[in-house]
Amino acid sequence: MTSFRWVIDAVPQLTQGLFVTLRLIAVAAPAGFVLGFVMGLARMYGNRISRGCATAYQMTFRGVPLIVQLFILYYGLPRVGITLMPFAAAVLGFTLCSGAYHSEYVRSAILSIPDGQMEAGRSIGMTTRQTVFHIILPQVFRKALPGCGNEIVYLIKYSSLAYLVTLVDLTGQGRLIAYASFRFFETFFVIGLIYVALVSLATSLLQLAERRLRIPT
Amino acid sequence: MPDPTISSTAIIWSGLPTLCRGMGVTLILVISALAAGMLLGAPLGVAHVYARRGVRIVLWLFDRIFRGFPTIVLLFLIYFGLGSLPGVSIQPLTAVILVLGLRSAAYQAQIYRGALLMIERGQTEAALALGFSLPKTVLFILLPQALRFSLPSLSNEYSVVLKDTALAFTVGVIDLMSRAKFLAMRSRETLIVYLLIAAAYFILTHAGIALFRAVERGIAIPGLGQQRAKRRA
Repeated sequence: MTSFRWVIDAVPQLTQGLFVTLRLIAVAAPAGFVLGFVMGLARMYGNRISRGCATAYQMTFRGVPLIVQLFILYYGLPRVGITLMPFAAAVLGFTLCSGAYHSEYVRSAILSIPDGQMEAGRSIGMTTRQTVFHIILPQVFRKALPGCGNEIVYLIKYSSLAYLVTLVDLTGQGRLIAYASFRFFETFFVIGLIYVALVSLATSLLQLAERRLRIPT
Repeated sequence: MPDPTISSTAIIWSGLPTLCRGMGVTLILVISALAAGMLLGAPLGVAHVYARRGVRIVLWLFDRIFRGFPTIVLLFLIYFGLGSLPGVSIQPLTAVILVLGLRSAAYQAQIYRGALLMIERGQTEAALALGFSLPKTVLFILLPQALRFSLPSLSNEYSVVLKDTALAFTVGVIDLMSRAKFLAMRSRETLIVYLLIAAAYFILTHAGIALFRAVERGIAIPGLGQQRAKRRA
C-alpha cells in the first residue's frame, strides 16, 4: 500500500504478457468462429454422415474441460509423435473448443429462420444452395452474432489457461510478478482488471457490430 | 524414472481406483459450488430486479469481478492473494469452493433475474391486490415459477462449473484432473490417461444434463408452459 512503484515496474512485463494473450485471441477467435459456422451449417444442411460428425464434434468438445483438451494436445500428442509448440497447442485447443460453442449458436440461429423462406426461395427458382447462401446465411450471421460474441468474451477469459501449457501470457506474467514481489493479492487483482478491460472492450465492439448489422424490422 | 519391469498398462490399471477417488472430489466440488451459487444467487437475482440504486452499485461490482475475471485468476487471487495476507489461512478445497461458488452465484443471479423478468407484471399486481406484501409475493409466487424457468439454464451452468473444477489442481486440490496428472507422470502414458479422464468428464457432463432434464420434467406444472406458448403464438 505504501507505493504504487511496483505496478509501474511491472508494466513492461505486463505488456509483454498482454501481447501474447492478444495474439492468442486474435488467431483463435476468428478461426473458432469460422469453424463453428461451418460445423453449424454441416449440422443443419449436411448429409447424414457430416451431420453425425458435426454433432459428435460439438458434444465432445463441449463435454470435456478445455484444460483437459489442452493437456491432450500438448502433453498427450507427443506420445504418438506429434509435438506442438505451446502457442500452436493453445491456439488449436481454443479454436476447437470455441468452434463447438459457436456451432451451437449458428444452429439455433438457423432454426429461428422460418421454413417459409426456404420454400419461397425454392419456388421462385433458386436452388437450395443459392437460397442458403443468399437468403438464409446473411440472416444467420446476424442472428448468431450476440451468442457468438458471448463466446468470444468467454474465449478471452479462458485464454488464461494458456499459461498451463507453459505459455507466458498475461496470467503467466502475473505469476512471475507475484512470486518475485510477493504481492500476490495486488498482482492478481491488477491482472483480473486487465481481463475485465479486454472483455469490456470486446463487448462494446461487438455491440457496435450488432447495431450496424441489425436487421431492420 | 518409472520401474521398467512394470508395464505402463499395469500402472494405469492400478491407478484407476485413485482416479475414482479423484472423481468423488470433483463431484463434491461441483455440488457444493452449485449449491452455494444457488443459495447466494437467488437473493442476488431478486436484488438485481428490486434493489435500490445504492445496492445496485455493489451488485454491479460483484458481477464485474466474478463474471469478468478468469476463473484461474480468481483462484490465484483468493488462494495465494488472500492466503498471503497476515492472519488469513485458507485451505485449497475451501478456496476452490469459495471461488466457484461465488462465480456461479454471479452467473445464477443473471439467470434468476431473467426468469423473474419473464413473469408478467399482472401476477405481482394481483398478489399485491390480494394483500400479499412484496417480499411474500416474490418468495411464494414469483420465485417458484422463476426457478422452474431457470432449469434449462441451470443445466448449462452445471456443465460450466463441472468443467471449471478441472482447474482446482492449480491450487493443489487432489481432484480427478490432479490424480490424472500424477498417473500420467508415473505411467508416462500421457495420451491414454488424459483421453481416459476426458471420457470421464464427458460422461459426467452429459449424465448431469440428462438428470437436470429429468428434474425439469418432474417438477413441470401441467399446462403452464403451454399457456405461455399459446400467448406468444
